[in-house]
Amino acid sequence: MFEDIPVDVSPMYEGERIRAANMFVELAGPKSIGAELVQVAENVEDGKVTVVGPELSEMTKGEIYPFGIKIEIQGEKLETELEGVIERRLHELCNYVKGFMHLNQRDQIWCRVSTEALEAGFKLEHLAKALSVLFKEEFPIIESISVTILTQKEEVEQFLDLAREQYTHRDERARELSDEDVDVFYGCLMCQSFAPTHMCVVTPDRTALCGAINWFDCRAAYKMDPEGPIFEIEKGEVIDADKGEYANVNAAIAEKSQGTVDRVYVHSAFGYPHTSCGCFEAVAFYIPELDGIGLVNRDFRGETPLGIPFSAMAGQCSGGKQVEGFTGMSLEYMRSPKFLQADGGYGRVIWMPKEIKDSVLEFIPEELRDKIPTEEDANSIKEIRKFIREHEHPVLERISASAEEEPEEAAEEEEVEMEESDFGEGQFVPVVTAPELTVPAGGGVKIIFKNAKVYAEKVIIKRK
Amino acid sequence: MVNKFINGVDAVIIAVSGKGGTGKTMVSSTLVKLLAQTGKDILAIDADPDSNLPEALGVPVEKTVGDVREELKKDTAAGNIPAGANKWDILDYKIMESVIETPGFDLLVMGRPEGSGCYCAVNNMLRKIIETLSSNYDAIVIDTEAGLEHLSRRTTQNVDIMLVVTDPSHRGILTAQRIGELAKELEINFKKLYLVLNRVKKEDEEELRNKVAEIGIDLVGLIYEDALISEYDMEGKPLIELPDDSYPVKTVSEIVDKILNS
Repeated sequence: MFEDIPVDVSPMYEGERIRAANMFVELAGPKSIGAELVQVAENVEDGKVTVVGPELSEMTKGEIYPFGIKIEIQGEKLETELEGVIERRLHELCNYVKGFMHLNQRDQIWCRVSTEALEAGFKLEHLAKALSVLFKEEFPIIESISVTILTQKEEVEQFLDLAREQYTHRDERARELSDEDVDVFYGCLMCQSFAPTHMCVVTPDRTALCGAINWFDCRAAYKMDPEGPIFEIEKGEVIDADKGEYANVNAAIAEKSQGTVDRVYVHSAFGYPHTSCGCFEAVAFYIPELDGIGLVNRDFRGETPLGIPFSAMAGQCSGGKQVEGFTGMSLEYMRSPKFLQADGGYGRVIWMPKEIKDSVLEFIPEELRDKIPTEEDANSIKEIRKFIREHEHPVLERISASAEEEPEEAAEEEEVEMEESDFGEGQFVPVVTAPELTVPAGGGVKIIFKNAKVYAEKVIIKRK
Repeated sequence: MVNKFINGVDAVIIAVSGKGGTGKTMVSSTLVKLLAQTGKDILAIDADPDSNLPEALGVPVEKTVGDVREELKKDTAAGNIPAGANKWDILDYKIMESVIETPGFDLLVMGRPEGSGCYCAVNNMLRKIIETLSSNYDAIVIDTEAGLEHLSRRTTQNVDIMLVVTDPSHRGILTAQRIGELAKELEINFKKLYLVLNRVKKEDEEELRNKVAEIGIDLVGLIYEDALISEYDMEGKPLIELPDDSYPVKTVSEIVDKILNS
């Protein structure tokens, strides 16, 4: 199949690196420019290969040249949505060619040709030929393909502009990729050495809580290492799309957590929130007094409005424990359109550090941006209440709505609120804040306070 | 585990360990120098956050693996990674960028230790990427971090030959002994585990030979104290420039012959 190509073409050369010492020329890379682009087009002349600019034989050893790979494909079933997927294969297929190194993708490619390949008579034209054969073999829906290699500076510059425009379009689409668009989610067990019952669920709308890997990274990882810590979860039956509950995800987490956790809501901090290993970049925590949610990130050094710092909170809800009202998350998840959607998203958030608010500001609905206080605006429940009342935060509607439903309870709650305002004067100090607190009790009864805060006028510690 | 593409022969991975300040880096840089003379593809890895292998090899460092790791974490947190790109490829590129390439050898500097936060994912990716990168070389020399951590973290478990360097100090020899014991305990089976005695005064040679005979690691070479090395160290001259006929280079050359041909 590759008789007229003077070097070997085979998957065994994947991962080949060419040392500077063994290299004839470098193409694109950190010291030059370059790009690659696959586009669906009309009237594609099948098998056509062109080299615009100097061929290898006209290049000087040790030099660096601009480099572009432009591929046009045509086929009855080909759609522009597939361009990105097909283009992603360029990295692998280029590396099949012995003596040709290819790293990364898009306008960040970095290629090298070995001296050995040049001596064997290898030309860029051969690379183009190999690619057109390999692509048709890999994707039978490609009916015709033409490959153009660019090495002339002005041509590559022009090509870069065109390519970048396409990448932007694709990224917009990728950001739009949502849980509904895919059939497969991923599970990640990378942190099980620290938290043996924790599994991360990674979906297009929810990155792993360490922030390091998203759905695309998981797809790549699974492909590179199918036996590795990242595995596929067929999405299967949707139990609750709003909360993000899926039958297969529940089954997977039950298996991988050794039965510790058997239900998980991907997009809620309540009910069955996603567990955490301890690696999370941020924590969402319920503030029961105001029926809202606070967010805090690892780098925030002060105390949260609950009166405890990030580290203490992290300790309470990490280690694979499922603690209602708390969920670990990545900063990127705060940019997700499904960010805690079952709980009301940003409409429920009533406190977050300024640093993260600034970094995700454009993802907070515009009408809410000045309604969410940061540590600069409020640092206690009392101050938050004052701030959100002044700024008419929608969470207030939740409180009054529940008041209408249960008028009696609301009256009581009002009373509690008044009392609590007194705490601010310094007579009462918070003694314990815990997401779950078990109080010893007799008579075969166990009393559990959820999201408990214990205040006392005086704490006496006596030696027995 | 590693495979060299061109001839299909496994690469040799040599790690140099020992207590800090015993001459690990001198042995590593001289090993690199000698192996580079064979014309094969040599990768030197500086795995000691506190080491000076780059200085000993006389090459400047622009970016370490640690820098790359931090950069990626920062970009990820700030949301600067294009939605359609995946981090493996970006990391792969950045690691290649951090490799310092010279005609005789390439150098990868691991650099600073991790900061706070989670490094599980990025380290997992790095392990794979460095494994792939390493498979392109005929021989790899790792200057490990001082002490024993590289064993307990199993960063040296694929090593073929472990050279433990010690000076005549009691604590240096103790560390060497512990490295031998810990390797056994953790069931890390180096194909070969050798001891190198460095900075030996002629009059102490006999006593030292007896002393190290008891620690259960084969002594593969003994390097006498050398005025030239002190001179290079004082002036900050790269040790790789030590002349081939100087005594330390000749001794390490004998060590290379022994470890690669036995």
